Amino acid sequence: MNFNDTKKFAVAVALLAFGTANAATINLSKCVASINKTMSDGASVTFWVFGPAGGMCTGALPGAPIEVGVGDTLNLTLNINGMTPQEAAPYNGHTIHLHGADVATAEDGVPETGAPVTGDTYTFTPAGNMYGSYMYHCHVHTVKHLEMGMYGALIVRPKDASGNFLNQITASAATTYDYVQTYLFSTVDPAYHTATGDSTVFADYNPKYFLITGAEGKTTAAPAVSLAAAVNKKVALRLIGLHSVGGTFEIRDAAGAAKTFTAYTEDGRALPTAQTVTSLDVSAGQRFDIIFTTPATTGAWYPQISYKKLRDGAAYATAYGKVTF
Amino acid sequence: MNKNFYTSLLFMLATLVLTGAAQAATRSYTLYITSGNLTVNGTGGATIPGWSYTDVPGTPKIPGPALTVNEGDTVNITVVNNHTLSHNFLIKGVTTDTTAIAAGLSRAYSFTASTAGTYLYYDTLNNNINREMGMYGALIVGPADGSSKAWTNGPAYTFQRTWIVSEMDKTRWNDVAGAGGAVATATYKPNYFLINGRGGSDGMMAADTTIDGTVGQTALVRIVNPGQFANSLHFHGNHIQVLTLNGVRQSSPYRELDVINIPPLGTADVLYYLNQPGDYPMHNHIAQMETANGVYLNGIVTMIKMR
Ligand SMILES: [Cu+2]
Ligand SMILES: [Cu+2]
Repeated sequence: MNFNDTKKFAVAVALLAFGTANAATINLSKCVASINKTMSDGASVTFWVFGPAGGMCTGALPGAPIEVGVGDTLNLTLNINGMTPQEAAPYNGHTIHLHGADVATAEDGVPETGAPVTGDTYTFTPAGNMYGSYMYHCHVHTVKHLEMGMYGALIVRPKDASGNFLNQITASAATTYDYVQTYLFSTVDPAYHTATGDSTVFADYNPKYFLITGAEGKTTAAPAVSLAAAVNKKVALRLIGLHSVGGTFEIRDAAGAAKTFTAYTEDGRALPTAQTVTSLDVSAGQRFDIIFTTPATTGAWYPQISYKKLRDGAAYATAYGKVTF
Repeated sequence: MNKNFYTSLLFMLATLVLTGAAQAATRSYTLYITSGNLTVNGTGGATIPGWSYTDVPGTPKIPGPALTVNEGDTVNITVVNNHTLSHNFLIKGVTTDTTAIAAGLSRAYSFTASTAGTYLYYDTLNNNINREMGMYGALIVGPADGSSKAWTNGPAYTFQRTWIVSEMDKTRWNDVAGAGGAVATATYKPNYFLINGRGGSDGMMAADTTIDGTVGQTALVRIVNPGQFANSLHFHGNHIQVLTLNGVRQSSPYRELDVINIPPLGTADVLYYLNQPGDYPMHNHIAQMETANGVYLNGIVTMIKMR
């Protein structure tokens, strides 16, 4: 074999290994923006969020979802400059940690193991056993920076032989869906947003706002997120736990009856046995990809999370989403 | 090779089987209930009043000593109460005697270790105060033959660690109970979060907490939560396989997770396969539980070093 043949051979082996052709390279750049959000009680809370790099940094809570196919290569660049909101040393700067991706130390975004905090590029090629929901978040002084909103969904999707995303959670056709939406869970203690450095504030977490994908959704009439689906269809939800308390996820109808759903992944891996349940505990850092089937008659269901205290599981509050069909 | 070789081989095998069957031992422990202090080193650290079970009279150990036995062993434990309050001693899922041991008295417990796995021992009295003060530890039951397997014919490991994760409310609980006062237990705002009785500044380096080995090895991590807060432990570097959760042995193929939620009084046995060289943290993903009185990374944190 000459050099070119060797290269072709290597590519063919790589394609076989991932079982998918046309592996893509995805180059994305992020910056960090400081934004003020007006909460339901009228109070203003400052968040630091990942936005698209270029020009003046703007963004929203949470950061935009990042989708990458199995076998693709993600090069995710974080730009830090003099305008970037940050803390004083030793907690200055930011990183991106690809939570669950199990990347090499140099791509892991952990300052304590050598990651630069002044900007870097993080590379991730999902292996063939990775599917579903992951997350990206800053790993500097995470007790504050997670709370500040430095997070977003990272989704690994299966691809067909032509390199197109498949509308299914894993490689299994049983996980095919018609609609999909991300439910990113997080909580807000305003005191953590104003405290900085080695403050005793960070020993005691008193969340005041309870979010799904950056919005409060305090009632079924004012849901945090909504999805217009159709009857007799499969709806996938990507559940991503970026909260710092406990949580129980359920789907209820307008009368409050709990509906069954099936979890196909946990923490970015296919579950050995899919789990059909009516509730699912989602703890800090966990992810699940679930599917439910809408009924034959029109109406609305309310996927929801009850945020719970770590000591006794007592409820803080419930945040609601809405799916119409 | 001749016939004699095979005869001696057979003899050796027979001897192994016989000794294997005869390995069930009697293991005796004496634990002394002692008051003293726990010191959390590093920034944010403090000296915290505590009570413990210890195998060294007069020197408290938080957590108490690991009791390591094999299936089939007869286990005798004598608990001597050298403290001024009543205490008891329960191994969750193993013993049932919760009788109080009055100050100055002792009590004996005896059982045959049955199911390989990881168990929590603790003091059930005094509205969680005794437990919060540090009265807990782990019982580790290995397979009957003492091999490095999670259970007989179960998953094999190269080395094992036991992580006891807990927390203390120094101001409202430990300082008050340590001075003989009455704790108002309705409020619990722990500000120290411990792995094997240490903050992260020690926990990231201690030989009994760090997963430190060479690529190709497998660590069995036994996790015990005697605290009152649920823990959500996140592993970098690789996913874990969940072998046992809250006393329930899981079936193969095992779930692969990068976060494991351990409720109060819960336990888990997980496998971590050392698959790539590098340095990675394992930390609680509940943000405040990574701190010591608010100081970052002096909480429930350790390191994974794959060489
Ligand atoms: Cu940051
Ligand atoms: Cu994370």
